[in-house]
Amino acid sequence: MTLRPLPSNICRFAGCTLTGALSVTTHVRDAITVVHGPQGCTHHNFSLLHATSLDNDRIALPPLVSTGLSETDVIFGGEGALDRTLDTVIARDPGAVFVLSTCIVDTIGDDVGMVCGAKAGVPVIVVPTAGFLGGSFQTGVNNALIALAGMAGPADRNGGVNIIGEKNLEYEVEENFAEVSRLLALLGLSVNIRFVHDLATDHIASLGAARLNILRDPSLIPVGESLKERFGTPYIPAYPVGISGTVAFLESVADTCGIDCRHAVEEEHTLRQQTLDDFADLAGAGISFTPLPPDPEGSRVAQDIAQAFRLDVTSSGCPVPVPVTPPVGIIGVRRLLHRWRRALHA
Amino acid sequence: MVMKQIALYGKGGIGKSTTSANLSAALSLAGHDILQIGCDPKRDSTRMLMQGRLIPTVMDQVRERGASGVTPADVVYTGFNGVRCVEAGGPEPGVGCAGRGIIATFQLLEKFGTLTGDVIVYDVLGDVVCGGFAMPMREGYAQEVYLVTSGELMSLYAANNICKAIERLSARPKSRCRLAGVICNAKNQPKEEELVAEFARRVNSHLVQFIPRDRVVQLAELNRKTVIEYEPDSKQAQIYRDLATHIMENTRFTIPTPLEIDDLEALAIEYM
Repeated sequence: MTLRPLPSNICRFAGCTLTGALSVTTHVRDAITVVHGPQGCTHHNFSLLHATSLDNDRIALPPLVSTGLSETDVIFGGEGALDRTLDTVIARDPGAVFVLSTCIVDTIGDDVGMVCGAKAGVPVIVVPTAGFLGGSFQTGVNNALIALAGMAGPADRNGGVNIIGEKNLEYEVEENFAEVSRLLALLGLSVNIRFVHDLATDHIASLGAARLNILRDPSLIPVGESLKERFGTPYIPAYPVGISGTVAFLESVADTCGIDCRHAVEEEHTLRQQTLDDFADLAGAGISFTPLPPDPEGSRVAQDIAQAFRLDVTSSGCPVPVPVTPPVGIIGVRRLLHRWRRALHA
Repeated sequence: MVMKQIALYGKGGIGKSTTSANLSAALSLAGHDILQIGCDPKRDSTRMLMQGRLIPTVMDQVRERGASGVTPADVVYTGFNGVRCVEAGGPEPGVGCAGRGIIATFQLLEKFGTLTGDVIVYDVLGDVVCGGFAMPMREGYAQEVYLVTSGELMSLYAANNICKAIERLSARPKSRCRLAGVICNAKNQPKEEELVAEFARRVNSHLVQFIPRDRVVQLAELNRKTVIEYEPDSKQAQIYRDLATHIMENTRFTIPTPLEIDDLEALAIEYM
């Protein structure tokens, strides 16, 4: 996703609260998500989730059902339509049902919580997602994660680490997870659950068992705080970013968990040096970032990488791609450098 | 071609429906073809024209049969002296969106070609609470809005609010919606007529009719009739006929100048 926005168009990046929440709830694989609103809200999101899943080699269709509100439901209230849809969905015996609201049902004041609270047999979880209230895509992600965390009770510590709020729609979601897992393994740590990425409802129960939560990025801090308050789990606020991020990440994780990281840091320094050697041929080449990433963090990280490999960033340089989100870990930097090298040799 | 489309707005309980029904009855006896549309989920606008019957509402019919299953005969009922009556209706209190119900009603009536006759009288809920209740004032519908008010401050306050809606709507390009006048439905307060007339002047309009409080209105309602039908020779019936004449002859349509709340209160104190 590379965008060249006009300054007046920055609101395009905020996104829809409903879509953000769906990027989370549709990753609970045995659950069904009900979108309470007109069918278009579901169709549009279904298409987007399906297309991005295919990009990430996930073939499963997002489990989405619409209450299909019509004008008549808007006039007389949509609670009946929600009630009927929930009965149909619960009859399919899902692990859980997530109910997401839309702009129109929050405008007419449907009591979604009341309708869902009357259901029994299957957990029916409400996620508030009306976009017009000013929330962004990220608000939807955070609301969904906090709502889903409500399904987990107290649990005994198991020594694992949770990955919180992966960007399920980003192209490199699996590669980024693999990089963080690699770093955790260097410290002798393993992943407890990916909250939420391709997760079974039953596994949500162990959310509180982890010794540490790793947030995908700092916009999830409200979720990290909420989990810390509920389960006492400390958190690391972001994935490691750029050429120098991994060592800092290892130190920070080790410090929080009270473990020795000297060996892990040593190995990481070796990999860093090896990476500098592997791409030494790029030194001196002229590059330019077009278009500039919308996020200043992305620009800063790209500049740092160019500097570390002694590339010249000039407006007349060879255009090289810069991802919307900065590369995760040394392995992410290596993938980016491969792309830059291909652009330089094209 | 409709000769006139008028809308009556005012605080809830002020007597809009009584005034509308008597106005429609008087206009029809003067030889006009009249359509009265109640735009309020309370659905009792046309009751006195229908011998006390609460006719099925447009929204009732849509709820039961779906919009495609409703026919004009299901929603238009002929009452006193051939006055055609429609009630928009709406959702149960506390759910859904009554304003959208008004919009849907108008769309259905348009589709049916029901909006015909010499005069269409829209009797609209207490205040312009949302876009749906401004529907009767939009392009193609009522160009003349009458405010029904007594001399009580809260009633004037509501009327002043409706002036704000008219001012806003009349600023739109192509909008022909105007304030046509103020009808004082009196509560028998001292200097009430003077107060309401002065209010009308201050909002750039005029008092069209002063309707005194008269027991015959309650008697007629208990007998499920308009005053025009129940006691045609009464003084009150003549006042409603005068109102009908004034409205048909009225040419003074203005863009209102709503008052600030402090000015409105000061005005009410002046006439206390």
